Amino acid sequence: MIPETRPAPTPLETSPTRPPNHVWIIFRKEFSEIFRDRRTVISVIISPLLITPAIFALLGVVISGQAQKARTQTYAVGVVGGSSAPLVLQALQKTPNLRVISIPRSEAETQIKDHRLSAVAVLPDDTHAALREGRTVSVDILEDAGNQNSQTAAERLNTILGAIGQQVVAQRLRARHLPPEYARPFDITEKPIKQGGSTATFFLAMMLPYILSVSAFSGAIYAAFDQVAGEKERGTLETLLVSPASRRAIVLGKFGAVVAVCLISSLLSIAGMVITFGSGLKQYAWLSKGGLHLSPAAICVTLLVLLPLSVLFAGLLLAVSTFARNQKEAQTYLAPLFILVLAPAMISMFLNTDVGLSVALAPVLNAAIIIKQALSGTYDLAFILLASAASVLYAAAALTFATKLFQKESVLIKS
Amino acid sequence: MIEARNLCKVFTDKKRGLIRAVDGVSFECHAGEIFGLLGPNGAGKTTLLRMLATILEPTSGTATVAGYDIRTQAQEVRQNIGYLSGSTALYERLTAREMVRYFGALYGLPTEAIAAQTEQIFTELDMHEFADSRCDKLSTGQKQRVSIARTIVHRPPVLFFDEPTSGLDVVAARTITRFIRRCRDENRAVVFSTHIMSEVEALCDRIAVIYRGQIVAIGTLEELRARTGRQAFEHVFLRLIGEEDT
Repeated sequence: MIPETRPAPTPLETSPTRPPNHVWIIFRKEFSEIFRDRRTVISVIISPLLITPAIFALLGVVISGQAQKARTQTYAVGVVGGSSAPLVLQALQKTPNLRVISIPRSEAETQIKDHRLSAVAVLPDDTHAALREGRTVSVDILEDAGNQNSQTAAERLNTILGAIGQQVVAQRLRARHLPPEYARPFDITEKPIKQGGSTATFFLAMMLPYILSVSAFSGAIYAAFDQVAGEKERGTLETLLVSPASRRAIVLGKFGAVVAVCLISSLLSIAGMVITFGSGLKQYAWLSKGGLHLSPAAICVTLLVLLPLSVLFAGLLLAVSTFARNQKEAQTYLAPLFILVLAPAMISMFLNTDVGLSVALAPVLNAAIIIKQALSGTYDLAFILLASAASVLYAAAALTFATKLFQKESVLIKS
Repeated sequence: MIEARNLCKVFTDKKRGLIRAVDGVSFECHAGEIFGLLGPNGAGKTTLLRMLATILEPTSGTATVAGYDIRTQAQEVRQNIGYLSGSTALYERLTAREMVRYFGALYGLPTEAIAAQTEQIFTELDMHEFADSRCDKLSTGQKQRVSIARTIVHRPPVLFFDEPTSGLDVVAARTITRFIRRCRDENRAVVFSTHIMSEVEALCDRIAVIYRGQIVAIGTLEELRARTGRQAFEHVFLRLIGEEDT
């Protein structure tokens, strides 16, 4: 036995006035470290501020290009029975950007199928007589429902035949000495009210809840998986567990950092969307028609709803990260979890704001509907209260679950 | 400084049923002593050290470390220990200085004390050259020095080393063994777990041979040699665990 001749050294004195706030120390370290990870920087900062607006701009270019093409492209269309209706045939042939070819009925389907013609108008043999006698002529327009060009050509034929029909009506009215207004009892003009929403706000209300949910979740994936599964994998978790920080403090510090990343990710997504919709750039004209109208109340409600949503996502992701042995295993659990988040977020795009109260209990979907209501200016107080209570409850459950899991040594120390 | 009394740890494995990883282990380690835990892989060394470091909770039995009970005073135990394992790593995105500061803060050291300790340790271990480099940019030897700095930033009276030289080259391993000797010279209690015979012979004042979760012998090198009648420590060890060829 070795005799103890000298007193053993004591550890350095801790701060006498301020006991260490382990939650804050861990949060601060995790938060600063997270943003040194290139993957997180891309998913949290670059993606919502640059990639999302770029995707919308690209979509705008494609959509306006398609619209331009639909207006100016020359389509080859066929007419069956043109000889029995020379006036109609002449009118069609005079139409710009339309190449009209008379064909027999037997070839109509084949020529559309072989892409030689985009669409075919089938006029009955008695067209001329029917028009002269004031009867209605049944015209079939043949099109390929699976071909965009064919549908556009058919639409153009429909419009032109409608215009020819208007001329026929005008002639008939003149023959009976009746004014043109006789056949137009209503003169309708749609006028959006000044206090109402705009197309941009409508699109934003439809897409923002989805984009916010997905960005809050996806932005925090790398951060959450790095926090526990990554630490287990690299062997740093053990060093943290032998520090004086309690496991509860460790999980709360890490949890706070993931919540912060969720919030930053979704806030930057809002910024990205507002830049997109409010920039006035012509690439976003398809979205920003009528300008963007966001009330302060709508912004406040959106931000308030984001908090429990972020806590819920952070709790779920941290629980997965704690349960998994390494980041690769965590990734395998991610797919079903992503579907659970993605599905309600997608459903919210197609639901109106006047949903039943039971929807307020559906996680993620309830938050998405509140955001949608706020942006549309239609607040349902009962729904908001119930949904908020449910969201807070789910968030608390997720946090409790993650904390409990972190206490289990069989999960934390897998040797 | 360390007194383990009948420590047991039982794990449940779905395939193998109950596994007694540590089975009734008792020993003492004093200030100024390097106490070696020698055993083959899977003998229970890591589990034993993890219990002493309060990472794992004992199934039965207990221990005191620096006068604190590992079951009821876990936080006080952790405040008084340093733990360095061959499998533990560094936060790669932190610099060496940030790493030491972080652990200094976790140990509750005042800001000025952390700064002073960092300076002193960095000088002792010749770390100033790479103090502000990210850990993922450091060489293996430099990383080892950061690990040591992290372990002693609060100057603990008790240190646990779990196979700290595993996977290291000779130069990096020498940094560790020098550090362990210095801990003894500073009158700290050191528990050193390894399966490498030469390290035990070179470093340990007393040795516990651990096999299948149980301590089969404790003593100084000479005591164990006398007990087995063997000189080469490899033969001493094999005889003690009953695996010596006859």
